[in-house]
Amino acid sequence: MHASVYLPLFIAGLFGLTAPRLALRLPPAAATWLLSVGGLIAAAGAAASLTLLGFTLVAQAQPLAESGHWSITALRHEDPVLAPVAAASIVAVLVLAVRFITAGVRRACALLAAHRLASGLPPVGQELAVLDDPAPRAFAVPGRPGRIAMSTGLLRMLRRDQRRAVLAHERSHLSHRHHLHQTAAVLAAAANPLLYRLPAAVALSVERWADEDAAVTCDRRSVVEALTGIATDTGARRSGVILAAGANDVQRRVRALQAPVARLSIWRVALLVGLLVVAVVAVREAAQDTERLFELAQAAYRSAHR
Amino acid sequence: MQTRRPAGGLESEVLAALWAADRPLTPGEVSDAVGGELAYTTVQTILTRLHRKGAVVREQAGRAHAYRPVIDDAGLAAQRMRAMLDRGGDHAAVLTRFVGTLTPDDEATLAKLLGAPAPAPPGDRPADEVDS
Repeated sequence: MHASVYLPLFIAGLFGLTAPRLALRLPPAAATWLLSVGGLIAAAGAAASLTLLGFTLVAQAQPLAESGHWSITALRHEDPVLAPVAAASIVAVLVLAVRFITAGVRRACALLAAHRLASGLPPVGQELAVLDDPAPRAFAVPGRPGRIAMSTGLLRMLRRDQRRAVLAHERSHLSHRHHLHQTAAVLAAAANPLLYRLPAAVALSVERWADEDAAVTCDRRSVVEALTGIATDTGARRSGVILAAGANDVQRRVRALQAPVARLSIWRVALLVGLLVVAVVAVREAAQDTERLFELAQAAYRSAHR
Repeated sequence: MQTRRPAGGLESEVLAALWAADRPLTPGEVSDAVGGELAYTTVQTILTRLHRKGAVVREQAGRAHAYRPVIDDAGLAAQRMRAMLDRGGDHAAVLTRFVGTLTPDDEATLAKLLGAPAPAPPGDRPADEVDS
């Protein structure tokens, strides 16, 4: 097996490091998609690499070799993967699988809870749910249909254009299903710790996305003012899938709103997409190498048992 | 200022405006609070819809109605009952069965409410009439 098997691991690290930075300079919708879907691809590539690395050692187990009709000696002889590396890969695959499944279950529970909350918030049957709470709070609750929750404290604090901005912001979270992008980022980070920065990066980029949508409904200054108003609330709710306006990196978002609209830079997108394509090709390459290795081992088995 | 709004968003804006106010608002005041470009009749229609759903209660204010938002446990339960009733089809049949399940205490309360000359304080009971 060649160096290509290690490439997806390297790329996951590179993607985890560069994507959050590059995404900040892209329009938020493009950035969100790149981070969430790209993160999943990077994580899957790295997981495939580790599995291939580990499998060469697993396949040397007697019962598996018997049923697969391959020669253990040939495998050990031909396989360029060092046993400690393969063993470490097996451990990593197991640990990461547990992390991934745990994160998935936790996320699913949070989504279910959000759905229940969305259908239970008063007034029932209305898009806007009002919370009797003096603290300024606003968040979107995904569900069928999703709900926008705003506290009475916030509603009394905002002017009418700011109210409209907050409604538009939360509605953007719901209509673009931002919670699914966040779920993808959380799962990618669980499946590969090299991608640990993705959840925060996606959280920031969906907030920017919603801010931009709000800025279409009313002028940018109102959005900024509403944002900073909510941001003064320290108790902003940040549990799981519920997207809270104002909870995330308000200063950066205000700067993003005041800066000229980010242009879709083909180069930045191409760099990130290129990384992912290389990872996918490398996985395919490594899989073919592994297949060839086992064909050799099977040929050795056949000649030994003739 | 631009005025692009999603179709279902107006009810939210009206509700938000009612909550933002510290007193009941007439349709004209709601129109101002939401943004003057909304036609009076549009606001009136939305308020009527919100009232029918039990999200707001209506009070007489001079010649017009004034509206204020509802939210409390009793109001919430009443909204749910109202929603179930609307889904049930034959109101008379649903109500007959419902009354049949009440305890004597509940029955007495209901009889008192229906027989009482003065209406219960707004917010303590569901919106039970529809605008004509």
